Amino acid sequence: MHIHPNMKMSDLVQSDFELLAVLQRLKIPFGFKDKTIQTVCKEQGIDLHFFLNLVKWFHERDFFPGETLMNHPVKWLVKYLRSTHSCYVDYYIPRIENEIVQMESFDHSAGHNMQLMLKFFREYITEFSSHIQLEEEKIFPYILRLEENLAKEAPDQDFWEKIQGYTIKDFLDEHSDIEEKLVDLRNILLKYLAPPSDNCIFTNVLVEIFRLGNDLNDHTILEENVLIPQVLKLEEEFKKKFPG
Amino acid sequence: MAKVLIAETSYLVRKGLVSLLEHTDGVTELKAAGHPETIMLTLKEYSPDILLLNSAITMPVTNEKLTSILHENARIIYILNTPLPAESPSSQISVFDTKNKLSEKLSFHISQYATQDNDKGETEELTPRERLILKHVALGRTNKEIASELFISTHTVISHRKNITRKLDIKTVSGLTVYAILNGIIKMEDI
Ligand SMILES: [Fe+2]
Ligand SMILES: [Fe+2]
Repeated sequence: MHIHPNMKMSDLVQSDFELLAVLQRLKIPFGFKDKTIQTVCKEQGIDLHFFLNLVKWFHERDFFPGETLMNHPVKWLVKYLRSTHSCYVDYYIPRIENEIVQMESFDHSAGHNMQLMLKFFREYITEFSSHIQLEEEKIFPYILRLEENLAKEAPDQDFWEKIQGYTIKDFLDEHSDIEEKLVDLRNILLKYLAPPSDNCIFTNVLVEIFRLGNDLNDHTILEENVLIPQVLKLEEEFKKKFPG
Repeated sequence: MAKVLIAETSYLVRKGLVSLLEHTDGVTELKAAGHPETIMLTLKEYSPDILLLNSAITMPVTNEKLTSILHENARIIYILNTPLPAESPSSQISVFDTKNKLSEKLSFHISQYATQDNDKGETEELTPRERLILKHVALGRTNKEIASELFISTHTVISHRKNITRKLDIKTVSGLTVYAILNGIIKMEDI
């Protein structure tokens, strides 16, 4: 499929429904009627090229997203990543947790295996939450202020002081792998656990864990290969513009 | 059983190689990349057995560095944009090669990985030694603690842990703990 501005938004979604995730995270409301991509973007105040680059990457996965996505204001990407976070925290994670709770109530195995899985998953939630909290409360605000201050005549004093001892590289070095544990959970469910009586729920939990895993993978690619390289560039520009 | 990475800028050539390799026995995983940065990134994370690299791509590192990123038994096959003489080495393929020629060369390389990995692949069961190490890991001991308790080097502990992770497909300590409980290696109360 060749994605172009004059294509109908509904056709785009029909040909690849996984792209719904992108629309949701850009908060584009449904009810497109026969509107084109271009029109919908305009109405929603979303940059057409930003949208096209995102959906093209998600759909084709054939080019390095950094090449094209890095050339937009960084705040757009931050907004996108933030709304992805809330999708995880408000929807995916509690849903999977609930399903494991449900499985636990069906589980009459002597070893209480599902109880164990639930404990494991709750541990994961704690780790996951602190990963996201760090990004939401420290990293993203820093990035937004960097971009803001770069546009100013003179940077805010407190920000100028902060950036002297800080670079986004520090964050990249510590950026933890939030997929690893999820992959473990998936493999344990898939390889080492006999399914409890209700197979349908069991299968569904697995499907959702796979989905979340893929989604997280894309999210990490956007963070590590688009966002951070872009911030590194901004930091360089900042130091050139305000050498101190 | 080889993992292959195709590093090629040309869309047509990349797609062509993907479709050829998808139907080649012994290819367990296949990835393709075109941009030098993506190639570097994929190399590190994916650690392929065979890297098909177009010789016209300017990589950000030297050839030596490239070889050092690859694992010990991995190999590089160069894709050339020019025709090759009849007696060219098997480590080179050309965009002018016929399908038969390409299949023949690629199968040759892939077959080199078949026997090695098959032996490993079949012994999924943990050895008694590995079970013992796993027990200690699941109980939350560090590599150092395990080493001194079992009178072995930390290096040996690490290599056992690598094997355990490979056999079970479980990477994290909490994942290994769950496995250990499920399989009666430790008890829930132990943790
Ligand atoms: Fe994130
Ligand atoms: Fe992250």
